[in-house]
Amino acid sequence: MASTVIGAGITIDGEITSDEDVVVQGTVRGKLTARDGVTVEPGAVVEADVSGGPLTVAGSITGNITSTDRVDLQPGAKVIGNVKAARITISDGAQFKGNVDMDV
Amino acid sequence: MAQTRSSARSGSSGAGEARIGAGARVRGRIAGDGALTVEGHVEGDVALRGELTVAEGGEIHADTIEAEALVVSGVVEGELRVSGVVRAMAGSRVRGNVTGGASLALDDGAQFAGRIDAEFDLPAELLESSGGSPGRRR
Repeated sequence: MASTVIGAGITIDGEITSDEDVVVQGTVRGKLTARDGVTVEPGAVVEADVSGGPLTVAGSITGNITSTDRVDLQPGAKVIGNVKAARITISDGAQFKGNVDMDV
Repeated sequence: MAQTRSSARSGSSGAGEARIGAGARVRGRIAGDGALTVEGHVEGDVALRGELTVAEGGEIHADTIEAEALVVSGVVEGELRVSGVVRAMAGSRVRGNVTGGASLALDDGAQFAGRIDAEFDLPAELLESSGGSPGRRR
């Protein structure tokens, strides 16, 4: 169970910072920063720059993504923005528009 | 694909289960449906159609906080527009006016500073004594 859950009915306009992991099921606009993992679940809408540890995306993100670990774009994910991470997977069925920076 | 759909369903069944964890800080506006538990820090207005719980160690600093019910064990600052019950538990700190027809329950050990706008019918004898002058009562 994640420490912070932005439920499906919840909208946050502003800045979220967390020392622990964050799960987004609802809507986040602004900025999302976590020291641990970030999960964007199916149906979630993130219009924000996202940074954190391992990032799992099955929802929609409009904004730049930075991870200290890895980024997984799962089927159904829709990402518009640049992704910077050491390891990136883009599954079949994920939509992605932007640049990839794997820091090589 | 089937996997995606099933996880989508589990996500929507989790609707109303929202939590700002102890290590989290939100600066901005929170709005929506369903219950929300705050264990971390929130700086900004909250407008919730559902029950808002501020756990021990949780803090909300806002201009206005709207909810259907509010249970505070942590710290809350701001105007409380709550349609249901506001409950301040022992060890909590609440600063702000309570409006919106809420009823308020203060536990022993709760700190409260603010005005309470509660609408209720006064007992008949109190109505007479407050409505009439002391002279008439004599």
